[in-house]
Amino acid sequence: MPAGGINAPQTSVIPKLRTRDLNFYYGSFQALHNIGIDIASRKITAFIGPSGCGKSTFLRTMNRMNETVRGTRYDGQILLDGEDIRKMDVTGVRRRVGMVFQKSNPFPKTIFENVAYGLRINGAKKATIAETVQRSLERAALWTEIKDKLHKPASALSGGQQQRLCIARALAVEPEVLLLDEPCSALDPVATLKIEELLFQIKETTTIVIVTHNMQQAARLADHTGFFLMGKLIEFNDTRAIFQNPKKKETEDYVTGRFG
Amino acid sequence: MSRMNMEISLRRRVTNIVMLSITGLFTLLTITVLFCILGYLLYHGIGSLSWSFFTNLPKPTGEAGGGMANAIVGSGKILLIATVLGVPVGFLAGVYLSEYSGRTFAFVVRYVTDLLNGVPSIVIGIFAYAMVVKPMHRFSTLAGGIALGIMMIPIAVRTTEEFLRAVPNSLREASLALGATKATTIFTVVAPAAIQGLVSGMMLNLARVAGETAPLLFTALGNMFWSRGWSQPSASLPVMIYQYAISPYEDYHQQAWAAGFVLLALVLSINVTARLVISGRGATARR
Repeated sequence: MPAGGINAPQTSVIPKLRTRDLNFYYGSFQALHNIGIDIASRKITAFIGPSGCGKSTFLRTMNRMNETVRGTRYDGQILLDGEDIRKMDVTGVRRRVGMVFQKSNPFPKTIFENVAYGLRINGAKKATIAETVQRSLERAALWTEIKDKLHKPASALSGGQQQRLCIARALAVEPEVLLLDEPCSALDPVATLKIEELLFQIKETTTIVIVTHNMQQAARLADHTGFFLMGKLIEFNDTRAIFQNPKKKETEDYVTGRFG
Repeated sequence: MSRMNMEISLRRRVTNIVMLSITGLFTLLTITVLFCILGYLLYHGIGSLSWSFFTNLPKPTGEAGGGMANAIVGSGKILLIATVLGVPVGFLAGVYLSEYSGRTFAFVVRYVTDLLNGVPSIVIGIFAYAMVVKPMHRFSTLAGGIALGIMMIPIAVRTTEEFLRAVPNSLREASLALGATKATTIFTVVAPAAIQGLVSGMMLNLARVAGETAPLLFTALGNMFWSRGWSQPSASLPVMIYQYAISPYEDYHQQAWAAGFVLLALVLSINVTARLVISGRGATARR
């Protein structure tokens, strides 16, 4: 396996996202070392690893969200469908690569306006908004629960519902990729299950990348899994291989619970 | 041993009661001052508070039915100009400080803003005189409004910055992650999230400048008649109070009391409304 290179699972499809020699810095601290990875299109890719290993940082480079923090920089390439995202307009990148955050962050607006927000700022035609909002809420498995409450504030929803609302909001602009940063860490098992189920549904049309500290979740959900440790990508392979037949000792130690 | 305990606990209880009484007394004193002022103004001015007070122009002393309609309208016009100047400038500067600027520049701007806030109001009046009255060769509502607007700016900047900073960063991230630009995020997510604080802050700001007298003395000057348009000298409540109070006529004094009451009532009602605004939506959001 080439050092610092790809540990790519066998795939003949063009990767949706690809990074090469990615080094990321918070000021003088190097958070990511030489990450090279191929994210397959319309599959679920999970990143696991102990706290502080850089998996969230890596996730956020893929939609350039780290740029909102002062003092960050990176070198290396991040390619979306072969195009370097640094050369693209940042709002365009973020429209194509959506994100759901660890703690749900609905806007202090109504449920409808939350989902419609992305559509409005991207200039969607008024006539289509209501329809798209409904479709997004259906995809997020939230429609039946809230269809009579569309114009109530989003803050009135439960934690699990709010997170599904955030997913609906992200889906409304029809991103090609959806990045999820530990989306279930603040939720109870029932809410978590609902979200995992809907991720299975939307993977048919959307590439999903999920960071999770819950190994079982990665094992349940992901087609491919990458193990991060101290800013390095230790191993990346089919999920089954990672969990049942890890090639690196660190991976094996982590997935068997010897540390983490 | 137990007698010492009893003495100590008795001393503690007495200290407690004394402190409670003292702090309670001074709190009561503070509240009483406000009500005394209100009561005093009402008592002395109630005789002159009538329909004609609000609708008539001033009349010479001795004639019945004089009013301060022009001063009320004049104050309204002056405050309108002050708001048009002070609120957008203060708001946008506050947006810059909160959302865009680097730390050093923000520190400098904040410091300068605080200095501006400390400039005596009469000096602001002189400044407006030099900048507006002299070039225009006339006293005017506009000059008075500009003077008060300048006084509104520092507080508008600070309150805007504070309330925008209080909006959690997670909301900004959510908006940016959907492909919004920074400007869109600020004006469609951050500012609306802070709107209660912003509006009430502006209202309190307005209430504060509504009672300023010194800056108007040589900008809007004063007028015993209606002031047409924006470039004529204009009466205003605070200046009218001053003019009537130093006059030697008893009926003018009566009217000054009444005007004082009206002005205070105006300021208080703006303050109370601002409080309601800031607690109103808060109650419904915290469901």
